Amino acid sequence: MALEVETRQADNGVTVVAPTGRLDLAGAPALKEAISEAVKKDGPQRVVIDMEGVSFVDSTGLGSVIAALKQLRSGQGDLRLAAPNQQARVVLELTTLDQVFPYYATVEEALTGF
Amino acid sequence: MGSDRKTFEFHATFSELDEGLDIMHLSIQRLRKAVGRGDDDGPLLLFETALGEIGGNVLTHGNPPGVERPIEYELRFDRGVVVASLSDSGLPAHDHLSRDMPDHESESGRGLAIARSLLDDLGYERDGDVNRWRLVKRL
Repeated sequence: MALEVETRQADNGVTVVAPTGRLDLAGAPALKEAISEAVKKDGPQRVVIDMEGVSFVDSTGLGSVIAALKQLRSGQGDLRLAAPNQQARVVLELTTLDQVFPYYATVEEALTGF
Repeated sequence: MGSDRKTFEFHATFSELDEGLDIMHLSIQRLRKAVGRGDDDGPLLLFETALGEIGGNVLTHGNPPGVERPIEYELRFDRGVVVASLSDSGLPAHDHLSRDMPDHESESGRGLAIARSLLDDLGYERDGDVNRWRLVKRL
């Protein structure tokens, strides 16, 4: 099941990247590519990854989020996660990456004050 | 009477990454249905997470070029315990088994540590030129 990724611009200028499917070993390259494309187009920026459509996350999927975070922060940008499901939250907490990626219940909450 | 009285078996072979991942998730979905567990069943979700990690490693490293043997996969549920077995033809994996969780900056290397922490038992043995993995969790 391929990961599909849609990208849009929120009213406050934050880029919202919305993957749909499994963010895993097979899906991670699509997220990496979508974020690289967004950075190439508009420069380093603030990005919210809308996880609502993500059914499953593995460590490789998380690795792609870490790569995105590093890429964005190196250019003074930043990253927030929105609406991770129960399984994604378990993986984030188990790896203690929840201390690195602030995550929010909704995209609207993630956009507030970002 | 509960899901503990039910039994379930699933077998498959595969070689390709997308195909293998799809089949493993499909097998968990069938198990959910067979034993009457919801999509949000915690223990089964943790087991699926561990299976995704070990299965992903097996699909990445267990099918080296020139080796025709597909990966063998089996999922069983009996007396409240779910067991997944995977056999692959990759290099021996002993050196990676006790790997700790890497730091926050690392983009890889978390799979085995995640799987170990979510399972009741993660078995590994080298049998000739085959790696045999056994993932066990009481649901």
